[in-house]
Amino acid sequence: MKTLNTDRRQLMKTAAMAAAGSLVTGGVSLPVVNADQAVGELPAGEGLSWNKAPCRFCGTGCHVQVGVENGRVVAIAGDKAADVNKGLLCVKGYHVGGILYGNDRLTKPLLRKDGKLVEIEWDEALDVIAQRIMKSPETFAFYGSGQWTIPEGYAAQKFMKGGLSNNHIDPNARLCMASAVTGFIATYGVDEPAGCYQDLDECDVLITWGNNPAEMHPVLFSRVTDRRSRGEKVTIIDIGTRRTRTTDAADDYLEMKPHGDVAIALGIMHLLIENDNYDKSFVEKHCNFRALEAATPTLKGEAITEDEYRKRIAKYTPELVEELSGVPAEKIRMLAGLFANRDRRITSLWCMGMNQHTMGTAVNSLVHGVHLMSGHFGRPGDAPTSLTGQPSACGTVREVGTLAHALPGGRLVAKEDHRQQCEEFWNLRAGSIQGVPGYHTVKMFEQFTKPTSEGGDITTMFVQVTNPGQTLPNLNKLFNSKQGLEDKFLIVSDVYPTASTELADLILPAAMWVEKNGVYGNSERRTQQWFKMVDPPGDARDDTWMTIAIARKLFDLGHEGMKDNDGEFIFSVKDETGKEIPIWEFEHYYDTNVDKHLFEEYRQFTTMKHKNLAPYDEYVKARGLRWPVVEQDDGSWRETRFRFSAFDDPFVSEGQEFEFYHSTSQDGRAQIWFHDYTPPPEQPDQEYPFWLCTGRVLEHWHTGTMTRRLSPLNRAMPTAYIEMNPQDAKAANIRQGETVVIETRRGKTELPVWIDGRGRPPAGSVFVPFFDETKLINDCTLDEHDPFSKQPDYKKCAARIVKKTAAG
Amino acid sequence: MRYPRTRADIDTEASTEPSHSTRHIAGISIEPVAATNLGPVPKLAAQAIPVHRPPGAVDESQFLLGCTRCGECIAACPHDAIRKAANRLGPVAGTPVIEADLAACLMCEDYPCIAACEPGVLTDSLPVTMGTARVTEHLCLAHHGTTCTICSERCPVEHAICVNDGKPAVNEDACTGCGVCRYVCPAPENAILLMPAFKRPRYTA
Repeated sequence: MKTLNTDRRQLMKTAAMAAAGSLVTGGVSLPVVNADQAVGELPAGEGLSWNKAPCRFCGTGCHVQVGVENGRVVAIAGDKAADVNKGLLCVKGYHVGGILYGNDRLTKPLLRKDGKLVEIEWDEALDVIAQRIMKSPETFAFYGSGQWTIPEGYAAQKFMKGGLSNNHIDPNARLCMASAVTGFIATYGVDEPAGCYQDLDECDVLITWGNNPAEMHPVLFSRVTDRRSRGEKVTIIDIGTRRTRTTDAADDYLEMKPHGDVAIALGIMHLLIENDNYDKSFVEKHCNFRALEAATPTLKGEAITEDEYRKRIAKYTPELVEELSGVPAEKIRMLAGLFANRDRRITSLWCMGMNQHTMGTAVNSLVHGVHLMSGHFGRPGDAPTSLTGQPSACGTVREVGTLAHALPGGRLVAKEDHRQQCEEFWNLRAGSIQGVPGYHTVKMFEQFTKPTSEGGDITTMFVQVTNPGQTLPNLNKLFNSKQGLEDKFLIVSDVYPTASTELADLILPAAMWVEKNGVYGNSERRTQQWFKMVDPPGDARDDTWMTIAIARKLFDLGHEGMKDNDGEFIFSVKDETGKEIPIWEFEHYYDTNVDKHLFEEYRQFTTMKHKNLAPYDEYVKARGLRWPVVEQDDGSWRETRFRFSAFDDPFVSEGQEFEFYHSTSQDGRAQIWFHDYTPPPEQPDQEYPFWLCTGRVLEHWHTGTMTRRLSPLNRAMPTAYIEMNPQDAKAANIRQGETVVIETRRGKTELPVWIDGRGRPPAGSVFVPFFDETKLINDCTLDEHDPFSKQPDYKKCAARIVKKTAAG
Repeated sequence: MRYPRTRADIDTEASTEPSHSTRHIAGISIEPVAATNLGPVPKLAAQAIPVHRPPGAVDESQFLLGCTRCGECIAACPHDAIRKAANRLGPVAGTPVIEADLAACLMCEDYPCIAACEPGVLTDSLPVTMGTARVTEHLCLAHHGTTCTICSERCPVEHAICVNDGKPAVNEDACTGCGVCRYVCPAPENAILLMPAFKRPRYTA
């Protein structure tokens, strides 16, 4: 038997002295590499190679170095050359290599026959799918993900909207980012943050709006706390509905009632106007005032005068805001005072708290408004910044536009010229792309789980890289009701069995992360590329390949949409001699770099909204580049850190200090919105007296399908729980650790109680994380959503807590 | 125990009843306790390897002399945290130990292991201190500047791990060495150094 070779021994030795990396051995991680070691200093040797990849988990976009030996990922180290994380990783990141090696990887396609899942070959699986699509192309839906790589999303997008002339493609990012998108579009006319992570390094004040970056974006939060440990003064103000690890580090904690953020933003703007200390010059030069149209509200809104704006916002006095938000009036005055001071740089951070919100678009727009009105915009450290929870929510969903209403590059299906241009780029027949948006996520699943006889007009659903059986709100209505519907067919591509594969009729084994090539786009507009490093297990295959192979089956069956104007396959890739490479056959998929072909094709869309991407090879060299990436006279490619600011953004016109060049009012100005506060759709009452808020925990990512297979993380956080206030627990005679039943009007689940734990909710509210597939809190959540973004509100609904004995 | 446990955990506990259930009522031994041998300490035992004993263990030499290796404490532990020391440990082999990497002592309120110890080498008249934990700062993620608070959250002993500026430190006066922090530490290399109590008090009747 071969024992550890010397390289490996050297690795182990290094391990004993350092903490910042991990050696993957059969699913268990051991440390190997110090964060201080630059790439060139990583332990090298015959058989062991290192390569860069962005971390598989969140939207922060840390880079790791992946150590591969004998076709297996054996080590992970923080990548010191990466600007995002500078070698640091979070507790999940150090173990990321182990996600490939859970014991129950899916390795064969599985088809449900007479209620039982049986192994089949890929060819049969593709046939089943292609036949169903051929039979009824318009009732097929594709549900994707912010974990899709850019090429995966782009291939799915082209296949659906171009090939099948079907707009029923939507991603899980609808559930997490959609309101941020509508907020950016309503305010600036173009999606995604203007600033970047450098704002965190330069702000004097950090305001977290319903946001817990200490747990959810720990590496970013470290950038702030690290400044403190170096003696810099950074004031952190945490506005939230419960105390969290972020609160622990905060100088001030403003506890608000759910939905209070809307009132707080209005209150700040009211005071800035009332005290006449807003940034008049910035507003005069760069902003307009906007409100919703009375008849049919849109994201464009209607122009209102400054006087009208003053009139409307006049009622949001600190006293009224206190009543609506629960935050004391003097704290609202404190916030307004902060924003009135232009000498201190202020960065606002938010994520799901403001996005999973029935007033998501409104509160996003209002917080942008606070920054614009006060002039805290466009200087490093002065920024309203939304964070993403998924590694490519920005790259794949928001930029490739894998949403029911969008086309690549920030274009819309509803606009004829956008469709035409897209058809030209794709060399498709005029009219191929439909002008009516497809179903958004909630509607898509409603139509899928509703019997066909009752108008449920989605019959086949293909799910890639996500887990709707755990993440959809109100699961009993939107997912579980699929069971028993004979004519509905669910296809799930995943790497492990999940809550979604439970109801799947066909399960496809997928390759993951460094088992395939990929490109992600993180929260700060950074596009990041990596190469395949190891083979997927068994018959697991790339998601892009699946889409292309299905398209090819349809092509062979004579589906006209799979042919371009020249009669060629829409995903045709040719070698240098002009000969077509049969990339739909998996043996030939890696004869070429399909990712690169798709990326270069996609790239031509990105200039339309000044989201310019560099050629693929530039990303191979870099640890990601932030768009717009513009070619310089010397042939090099320059990234942009601060959009709309003349000092950094090459698209700002000469002589302007700031320019919002995609302004919805076509005058280079951003919009300061007015929205009236409206109460949440469901509020606690006598029957359901608690607010229920849901979210994540540090140790687990998303639905835990990956992190729960990493034993160090699962040991640290083995189960979901319900956080209760000690007062509430005492009143109900509930003990620490006791299992209780949480019930809402939609469902119930059982959870152990954690009092005074990591999060501390105020009396009358509880918090439950959603990572645990054995305790599905989304059986309880509400499917009410924002009118513009269609993003559901997972952060507030009415619940009751029942002792287990009483519940029976 | 401050961390919530799952229903499954609690159900499993109920089913792990001591094997000789007739000698216990609700985990408390009802049989007379045999006299502890408090005789002179043989040299061999005095040189025994320091091991991590269950709570309330008497001085190691007394322990080795008195422990009958009956396994009652092992059966009584509701969390399967006590196990027999491996054969390679020589004179210690077969005696009850805790290996926190596999399962830590969760510091039960009523110490069923002590109640189950017939020879009385686990006794409630001595401190329950089994050892002490220490944070190895260069391995600890929180000391590296990233958020991690799991050891202090799961520690069953009030004030045994205090967190300062996000970084944990063990208060050795309060720490009982139960090993929960060692068990849950998710750092790539475990950042908790757990040391057994090298000297435990002698038991005098």
